Parts: sequence; structure tokens; C-alpha cells
Amino acid sequence: MTVLMQQTTTALNGQADAMVPETAVITRIQYEAPDIATYTLSFTDDHIREQYQFLPGQFNMLYLPGIGEVAISISSDPGQPGTLLHTIREAGNVTGALAKLKKGATIGVRGPYGSAWPVESAEGKDLIIVGGGIGLAPLRPAIYHVIRHREKYGKVTILSGAREPGDLLYPDEYDAWREHGIEVIVTVDRADKNWRGNVGVVPMMFYKMRPDGRKTVIFTCGPEIMMRFVVYEALARRIPKERIFVSLERNMKCAVGFCGHCQYGPFFLCKEGPVLSYDRVEPFFSVEEF
Amino acid sequence: MLADKLRQNPWFKVLKPAHFQKLVEIATEVTWSEGQTIFREGDQHDYLYLIVEGRVALEKYVPNQGQITILTLGENDLFGWSGVMPVIGTRTTGARAVQPTVAIGFDSRRLREISEADHDLGYFIFRRLTNVIAGRLSATRLQLLNMYSQSTE
Amino acid sequence: MTNSIPMPGKHIVIAKDALQTLFSTLQAANYTLVGPTVREEAIVYEEIGQMDDLPVGWTDEQGPGTYRLEEAGDGRYFNYVVGPHSWKKFLYPPKLTLFSAQQNGDGVEFTANKESPQYAFIGVRGCELAAIAIQDRIFLEGQVTDPHYKKRRERAFILAVNCTQPGETCFCVSMQTGPKVKNGFDLSLTELDESFLLEIGSELGGEMLADCDWRPAGSYELNQSRQLMLDAEMRMGRSLDTADLPEILLDNLDHPRWDEVAERCLSCMNCTLVCPTCFCSDVQDVSDLTGGKTERVRVWDSCFNPDFSHVHGGNLRPNIRARYRQWLTHKLASWEAQFGTLGCVGCGRCITWCPVGIDLTEEAAAIRGGQS
Ligand SMILES: Cc1cc2nc3c(=O)[nH]c(=O)nc-3n(C[C@H](O)[C@H](O)[C@H](O)COP(=O)(O)OP(=O)(O)OC[C@H]3O[C@@H](n4cnc5c(N)ncnc54)[C@H](O)[C@@H]3O)c2cc1C
Ligand code: SF4
Ligand code: SF4
Repeated sequence: MTVLMQQTTTALNGQADAMVPETAVITRIQYEAPDIATYTLSFTDDHIREQYQFLPGQFNMLYLPGIGEVAISISSDPGQPGTLLHTIREAGNVTGALAKLKKGATIGVRGPYGSAWPVESAEGKDLIIVGGGIGLAPLRPAIYHVIRHREKYGKVTILSGAREPGDLLYPDEYDAWREHGIEVIVTVDRADKNWRGNVGVVPMMFYKMRPDGRKTVIFTCGPEIMMRFVVYEALARRIPKERIFVSLERNMKCAVGFCGHCQYGPFFLCKEGPVLSYDRVEPFFSVEEF
Repeated sequence: MLADKLRQNPWFKVLKPAHFQKLVEIATEVTWSEGQTIFREGDQHDYLYLIVEGRVALEKYVPNQGQITILTLGENDLFGWSGVMPVIGTRTTGARAVQPTVAIGFDSRRLREISEADHDLGYFIFRRLTNVIAGRLSATRLQLLNMYSQSTE
Repeated sequence: MTNSIPMPGKHIVIAKDALQTLFSTLQAANYTLVGPTVREEAIVYEEIGQMDDLPVGWTDEQGPGTYRLEEAGDGRYFNYVVGPHSWKKFLYPPKLTLFSAQQNGDGVEFTANKESPQYAFIGVRGCELAAIAIQDRIFLEGQVTDPHYKKRRERAFILAVNCTQPGETCFCVSMQTGPKVKNGFDLSLTELDESFLLEIGSELGGEMLADCDWRPAGSYELNQSRQLMLDAEMRMGRSLDTADLPEILLDNLDHPRWDEVAERCLSCMNCTLVCPTCFCSDVQDVSDLTGGKTERVRVWDSCFNPDFSHVHGGNLRPNIRARYRQWLTHKLASWEAQFGTLGCVGCGRCITWCPVGIDLTEEAAAIRGGQS
């Protein structure tokens, strides 16, 4: 069995001090759902704007002076690092304040941080990408990467779930993804009569697929409970633990392994994570309050 | 023709010919047009259905919210199991075709009868139903948790 | 007595009051002296001016949950056990401005904090040197370095002290960090009856002695110092069996002992604050009221703080059981995978300063003893 290697990059940061952000301007705001919007950011510094690169699955720290800083995944195409997108759900203080910002506002950005989806070592394999709710955001760069190199992958299935139809992320893009020979299965937890698609929790959709355990790789991000059930369904289909990748989330203050908040057993989720293969997190995955 | 359709189902492939034959005898093919109601919550049971193609929504009526879809089912999925379970007897949800749908219906009362008469076949049928119910239960629990309101990335 | 510059590796002897000459030389070289001094019924580390500020004739009695300062009246300078402070308060300050943000028109400008004080640490124990080496791994030896720690660390002068006074809660022998200091100092000192025996650890250490009268150490002093170290080793109040400890702890995340300790632990954070290796922090924004300027301030945080694990929607470790387990398994297990060493140096502070006397050596032993 081949073990997939994970890629990481160090933060590209003009300042010698990793905690000091760069400035970036919000150039576009696109509403995705009642409490979710995608922000296009452009670094103020030309050099940084041109040099900036990231891997799918990595995140940035976004800073609002006087309010605070949050970890937000990059949701755009790694092949076009000049257009930097973040899809953000209003959840509390900082994300709430972000939601009030208008086009043209300046914020602080530092990154990219963290591990990436192993898109390269997944080449030649079938790929199932499972995103629940806002969890599809960190997966979208991987989807763009796969589309860009479609011939390098076998069967590709995207499973997108949300609570209600109106909460689905990026629904306008599903057809475009399908055009690249990707199966897109969409499901919601509940819906009214007007919804003609699937209703049922994300892990149930595994019954609609016949993955070949010998050559399937899974990337999943979403609520931890959802990921746990996705893992069970995947294991039941003989997909090896080493080929199931989850993206975990913990409180993060520094993103460079100093603040201690994101620890998950031996891992700092800002460095070794957020993307980890299931065999590495298994000992802790079901431990309560870990 | 109906027997052929049944035989294609991965599930019936493993049946002994005699058992298979007994199931074919109580099976009928049904089709529903888009939007057609299949049964309502509280109806007396009649059939257990296996979907051949199409999509069916299981619905519950919630005052002030109308019919809420709680689960959709497609090819090779079973529904209408409550009719086969003696203690339940009535439909626990409503069912509606959201697409033109073809299914095979098994007479619930006769399913119970052939299970009683031949416990090997009965075991096969009830194991299958138990699996379906277990899967639904587990999914329902997850649905109940309302996981998207929890922390997500 | 001579006064030239002794070479690294050399052992020399100075009269006790010659330490003041060293202090003056350090001050003349722009060092801020920080060292032990008596303050509010404890021996703490603060800025000091001269020898007299040291806790001359003072010692302390420690036990789980107790600390009592005592007058020994022996005129000794370093005859105490480590207190509630550690050197991390200087290298990794409890509160530090990382940068400031200035609003100008539509934009905003960030300016890093570049201040870099130059400290001379007086009286660093073996366990404390080991703690500094551990924090070096965290802040200096990863992919990213902390510039604030780096500057302070690189500029620091270290006068270490061989520990002749282990306490009731000490177990540096188990952790192999003391009582004798091994390396990583500019000068190390052993307090003898009549004099100080010094070992030169660096060229800088030697240079700072240029104005002192010294003579090479004789076998009398060297033997006396060796004897003191042997005695100290025998007087450890505690011990910790570290064999396979990381595996044992991580294999027992649901051990009933976690419930028992959770009944006692107050989640007060004392243990993490006094621990010389604990490094968790939070970052806060402090804005001036006229608006426009914000300072981004890093402050010590603790895994015992309920908000430590906050994610929107709640805290991931709402119960003390999970927080204590996080602390202990980090210190004595995960730390090894993260930094190639355990996160404990055996200084005993967390035992002494725990208001209810929880003893990590006892907790670890209980889990080892009753593996589930
Ligand atoms: C690696 C990673 C990637 C993420 N990607 C996205 C994304 O693409 N889109 C998105 O909408 N959200 C994402 N999140 C979650 C996002 O960071 C939180 O929703 C956000 O921090 C909430 O902050 P708040 O100030 O609005 O909420 P409050 O509840 O007011 O939180 C206060 C502070 O606690 C910390 N905090 C709270 N919740 C979280 C959390 N879930 N994770 C980490 N720190 C938290 C933050 O420092 C925050 O400022 C990601 C989190 C991580 C760890
Ligand atoms: S855990 Fe306790 S004994 Fe170990 S270094 Fe920290 S304070 Fe000292
Ligand atoms: S172990 Fe003791 S010092 Fe640490 S948080 Fe609990 S009560 Fe406080």
C-alpha cells in the first residue's frame, strides 16, 4: 500500500515576524447563503500579490484591527493565486465584524498555513471529495486542481451536503464541475416540497456510490460528527485509513505552532494539520472532549 | 420481465431459486408519475417497495411548515417497511414520487406469511429489513444532531 | 589571586563579595540584572541592583500545595529552592505587544515591536536551563522562529547555579536535568562555605570576570562541590518513572484516574503559569479610545482556561477532566512527539503552587500502576 505524502509550505511572509500581517483590500463580496459570503482579497503590496502561492487546503489568518484574528481556509484556485478567495460564515465576533465590511475595506492577512490535501499523491486514483456545509470551502481549491489536471485522476465524485437547500455552497458551479466528468451528488438534511434533489445526511450518500476500496482516496471536511460517519462508511467499503483525509478544526491564535491552542494530541493542527490522514488521528478521533 | 428486473438487483442475486420464486409470486410492478402521492402517513399498510428507478421522498407533515421531506430514496432502496412490522401496521411517513418512478411492490401481509412458513426465507427478508431500519436509525440520529449548527470548517 | 580572563572550561574560585564586581561589570556592559530576591513572602525573580538584593540567609520549605519562606541565617546566597517565578517571564514575557496597527484613511499600517532588552540571569538552576532549552526548541528550532524570544535569548547572559538545596517537590534527577548544570551557561557557580566555585562556560563568561580577583580551583573546592552535588542528588523529594510514559498516558485517555483528579483540580491555571516550559498564549487587541491605534498583545494563556478550546458554538473541553488530561498528556506524552523531549524538567513548581496539592508524579504513577 502506498502511503500518501502530504505537502506543506512555510508561510510566505514579507515580514520577518510571522505574527505581523500584510494588508489586503476586499475587492469583491459575493453572497453564498444567508450567513455566508465569499470575499476576494488583494494584497496591497505588489510584490506579495505576485509572489503569493498556496496549496489546496491551506488557510490564512485574517485580522481586523481592534477586533481579532481568525483562521479561514482559502477557497480559490491554487493555479490562480492572484485571485484570493475566502468563504466565510458569520459565527461570532470577528466573522460577524467581517460580515459588516464593505468592498474596499483593508484587513490584515498572513499565511498560508497548514497542510494541504494530497492532490499529487492521489493522482491515478479515484477520488471522493465530501464537503458538509462551509466544509466545502477548503475543498474547492482541490476541486479546481483536479479539474485542471482531470486526466490524472480516475473517477471523481463530489458529495456536497448542507442543512437546507439554501445553505448549499457553490451550487452554481456544480454543473461546470459535472462538465469535467465529475459526479456531483448533492444532499440536504431537510427540505420542503420544492426541492427535487436528495434529502438525507451526507454519509448516507455512500449507498449511492460503489467505490473501489483498492484505489479510492477520500478528502472530507465538515462538522466533526459528519466526518466521523464518513470515515465509518469509507472504512466499511475497505478504503484504507491512510487514504482517508480529514480536515480538523480547533481554536487557533497564532497558526505557527506557538500558541498551543490547536493541539490535537501530538499534532499542532496549524502545522501538521488541518489536513491529516485518518490513520494518524484515529487514536483520538472518538475520545470525548479531546 | 418482472423476474428479470428483480434478478438484476444485487440483493436478490444471492437468493435460492425456490425463495426467489416465492418472492416473484407476491411482487407487482408499479409506476408513479412525478409528484404523485404513494401513501400518506397513518395509512394502513399494503406494500413494501423496492425502487427500480426514479426518486421517492419520505415526508412528514409539520404544522405551520407543511410537508417536510426527511429522506429521499433512489435505485435499489427499499421503503414502506413499517407495513411488514406487525407492531407498527400504519405508515410512519408519507411517500411521494419526486421523479417518474418505477418500483416493485411486495404485498406486506403475504411477505409476513411466507416468512412464517419458511423461516430461512423469513430470516433473509427480516435481516434485510433490519439492515435498512438500522441504517435509517443511524442517519436519523445524525439528522437530529443538527450537525451544521455545530462547529464546522 | 589574579585578575585576567579565565578560559572556557576552567574552574576558578572567587571570594563571595567578588560577585558584586561581576554584577558591576555586567551592568557596565548594559545588562539588566535579574535574579532571586525576597518579595511578598517568596523568593521571586526580579530586577536586582546588587548582591544584597539576593535572598541572603533565606531559604524555603515546600510541599504539595505549600510554600513557606524561612530565615536560615546562614548568610548563604543561593540556599533556596526554585520559587513561583521562572526565567520564561523574561524570555517569553507574560504580556508583550507583538505589533501595532495604525488606521490611516481607508488603509491600515502594521508596525512590529522591535524592542529587545538585554538581561543577565543570575542564579539559573539546572532544571531551569533545561526548561530554557525546551523553550528554545519551541520558539527557535521550528519552521518559524519567534523574533521576540530570539532577541531576548541571544542577548541573555546566564549565570547558572549548581543546586545544593533540592526541595520536597523536586525530581530533576528523574528528568536528568540537575542538580548540576551541564551546559548552556556563560558562568556556573557552586556556593561553598567561604567562596564561590565558578566554571567558565563561554568566552563572554570569562570576559565578564576581567575585573574580579580569582584563582584556579584546587582539589579541595572541586571535591567539596562534587560532594554537595552527590548530597543534593540524594535529597530529591520526588521521583518520576519516565520509561514508556508517553505511550502509557496516550493509551489511557479514558482511565478512571482522570475523573478522580478532576474532582480535586480547580482549573485555576497556577500549574501552567508557574511551569517554566508551558508556553501557550492568547492574543488580544488593545485599542486606544480615540481610535485609530490598536496594539496586538500576546498574553500567557492556559489549557485550564475554559475558553482555551473555544470554537464558535462552545468549548471543546468543557470539563476539568479533559483539561487536566490535556495538560498532563501534553507535558508527559505529546510533547515528546512535538519537540523530541518531555515537557517537564522536574522543578516541582506545579506541585508546590497547586492550591490543592495535586502532584503530577503521583498522577502519572497512578495511571502507570493501574493501566486499563
Ligand atoms: C484551519 C481552519 C480553517 C477554517 N476555515 C474556515 C473557512 O473557510 N470559513 C469559515 O467560515 N470558517 C473557517 N474556520 C472557522 C473560523 O476560524 C471560525 O468560525 C472563527 O474563528 C470564529 O471566530 P469569531 O470571532 O467570529 O467567533 P467567536 O465565537 O466570537 O470566537 C472568538 C475567537 O475564538 C477563536 N475561534 C472561534 N471559533 C473558532 C474555530 N472554529 N476555529 C478556530 N478558532 C476559533 C477565534 O480566535 C475567534 O476570534 C476555520 C477554522 C480553522 C481552524
Ligand atoms: S510540569 Fe511541573 S515539575 Fe514539570 S517543569 Fe512544569 S512546573 Fe516543573
Ligand atoms: S492542577 Fe492544581 S494548579 Fe493546576 S489547575 Fe488544577 S488546581 Fe490549579
